Amino acid sequence: MRVTQSMLTTSFLRNLSDSYQRLAKYQNQLATGKKITRPSDDPVVATLGMEYRTNLSHVEQYQRNLSTAYKWMDSSEDALKEATSVMQRVYELTVQASNGTYDASQREDVATEIGQLKKQMASIANTRVAGKYIFNGTDTKGTTVTVNGTETKAKPVDLSAGIRVSGNSDAVTIEVNDGIEVRVNVNPTEVFTSELFQGLTDLQGDLKNGASPETIGGYLSDIKAQLDNIVSERAELGARYDRVEMVEKRLGSQKVIASQILSDNEDVDLEKVIMNLKIQESVHRAALATGARIMQPTLMDFLR
Amino acid sequence: MRSTFASLETARRALFAQQAALQTTAHNIANANTPGYSRQRVNFSTTLPYATPGFNNPVTAGQMGTGVEAGTVQRIRRDFLDIQYRGENTKYGYWGARSQALSKMENILKEPSANGLSKAFTRFWESLEDLSNNPENSGTRATVRQRGIALANTFRYLSNSLEQVRGDIQNQLEVSVKEVNALADQINSLNQQISQVEPHGYLANDLYDKRDLLVDKLSNLVNVEVTPVDSGGEALDIAEGRYTIKIVSDTGEKITLVDGKNLRAHHLEVAFAQDDGSATFTLNDKVINGSVSGKLQGLKEANNTDYPEMLDHLDTMASDFVAAFNSVQESGYGLNGETGYQFFEIQTNGGEQRVAQSVKVVLDDDELDHIAASNDGSAGDGGNAIDLADVITGSIELDGVNTTVKDYKNYYESVIGSMAVEAQEADRLSESSLILRQSAEKRRQSVSGVSIDEEMVNLIKFQHAYNAAGRMVTVVDETLNRIINQMGLVGR
Repeated sequence: MRVTQSMLTTSFLRNLSDSYQRLAKYQNQLATGKKITRPSDDPVVATLGMEYRTNLSHVEQYQRNLSTAYKWMDSSEDALKEATSVMQRVYELTVQASNGTYDASQREDVATEIGQLKKQMASIANTRVAGKYIFNGTDTKGTTVTVNGTETKAKPVDLSAGIRVSGNSDAVTIEVNDGIEVRVNVNPTEVFTSELFQGLTDLQGDLKNGASPETIGGYLSDIKAQLDNIVSERAELGARYDRVEMVEKRLGSQKVIASQILSDNEDVDLEKVIMNLKIQESVHRAALATGARIMQPTLMDFLR
Repeated sequence: MRSTFASLETARRALFAQQAALQTTAHNIANANTPGYSRQRVNFSTTLPYATPGFNNPVTAGQMGTGVEAGTVQRIRRDFLDIQYRGENTKYGYWGARSQALSKMENILKEPSANGLSKAFTRFWESLEDLSNNPENSGTRATVRQRGIALANTFRYLSNSLEQVRGDIQNQLEVSVKEVNALADQINSLNQQISQVEPHGYLANDLYDKRDLLVDKLSNLVNVEVTPVDSGGEALDIAEGRYTIKIVSDTGEKITLVDGKNLRAHHLEVAFAQDDGSATFTLNDKVINGSVSGKLQGLKEANNTDYPEMLDHLDTMASDFVAAFNSVQESGYGLNGETGYQFFEIQTNGGEQRVAQSVKVVLDDDELDHIAASNDGSAGDGGNAIDLADVITGSIELDGVNTTVKDYKNYYESVIGSMAVEAQEADRLSESSLILRQSAEKRRQSVSGVSIDEEMVNLIKFQHAYNAAGRMVTVVDETLNRIINQMGLVGR
């Protein structure tokens, strides 16, 4: 093949431009840390990348949802714990008042304390977390316990007359994974029942009226039943809490896997790119050096 | 009997011929870097020897040479290399144009990234999940509205930008068609000049080079077929004649662009359809149905297929998503316990605008309560918000386009994926056709390119011959001097 100077210079320039292109590619990979910058660099990596990103953002969103779920469940658990101790106190007081040794003034004191405990139960029932009534089913803007038809909000309530207990038992659910929803509130109609408040009111009245110890003792089984209701709701809540914790663990490992897959898919292997860059750099230098040597001399330098 | 002065004549012929060769060498060196130039060579041939047979031919020892003549000046070029080069150049034109158009599309769609449509969907989904957690909160509602607006804006932006680039491509098509016509006119005018030179027995080497360079440029734009037409008169056998150039389509249509016989150039025209903007080429009142290859075809396909398809995909997604989302939104309850409100709307101005360009969020910022998070109207219920989020991730049925995809994002991924594969193919083929073109160009340069060293050697070769011919004159001069001035002087 006949080779001319212009062929040499053209192919030299072309090779040099190719070399620059490769250098630019490695530089780009190093600067961005990504294997690809546009889908056509590698369509498979690109579409998988879109999918993995979605997965990762879903996992992250579900983790955020979890914190809401925990907020609900922790608050409910705290409130129920308090309700349990309130009801236990009521039980103790009733046991003491039912043994017949208390005189009228002592029973009056017990009645007063029971009145206070009832108010506390009402305020527990109207617990608000971040502006939401958590013991009112899905009607989180309305109070659980209302008196005389007026909203009492979280203020202690005088329950001597016209107590109304809301009956919204709808589940508040939170999505904690694709297609998995968990109920985060307890069923308030099992805990803060109108029987409970009515019972407390009646007990308070009987104590004041000087009813017989047997009558007072008759309340014990009712109180026990209410206490059991609260405990069983707490148990169920605890079981759900366990489930949420399991989901959290699973989400944690899912996140690690999702980020790892995302990274494996599109992040560059730095060592490899640096090696490639080094190799390309020496190729580039060699190309420049040979170009400079070949282009310079012509026959004219030797013809005298 | 031979002439005393014959040798002078021989030497003179040698001087002139070598001078012509030197002149041609100078021309080669001067044009070493001229694009499209082919090196030229003087075809030396011996003149008629003495004596020729005849009725009264002199008796000589044998035929004696009478010197040299510069026969023709010819350019050194191979037709089949031109055909190879042009074939590859046509492919490069086609794939280069498509690769450019698709890479612009990739730039607009910007996937995978933090600001593409895919991300907008994800962020909208996130805001809906947050809404399901806190349906009473006006902050989460405002976020849903804003992210919804962002999604609508992304649809609008993508569709508008794609349409804008499509407009640019149409401009480019018009410019390229003008370029084809300008080249056709120039080739035609060169045909005319050549047709005036050739009948006189000359070779219009430099005009040939210019014309071939123009045909090279033309071959980048369309697939052409070149047929030479004899110029007539005293034209030499190696004269190349006038070129008739036809645009050849893949369906076998051949339509004349430059008429070498009648020395006329026809003009290619491009028309864009009123309804969908698709381009059609017309030449000589004939519509070209098949693919004309080259840059023109690349641009035509980008305009007629690639861009409209992507715009249609966006429209399908937008309209189906808005319909599905609104139907879930309308079935749920807002914070005020009311139902039946829409979230998005599509106002195409009676079909004047594309669907994806007319997606809007209907809700005002004081109508945040209308976002239907609740299934039953109670404030704390986020069930419908989850259903709204599921519209994005749940299974879909797009109107018959693709029923195997899981959801919108999946559908979009497959759209991006197939675009990426096409762009990758276009990139790869434009690169490989460039390499093939380069190697064809290399082979052509190997034959036709000027080598400075070679010209230097020739220069010395012809100079030596010229010098020697000059010395010949001196020798003949001396012999004549002997005869004329110094002979016949015996005894003086």
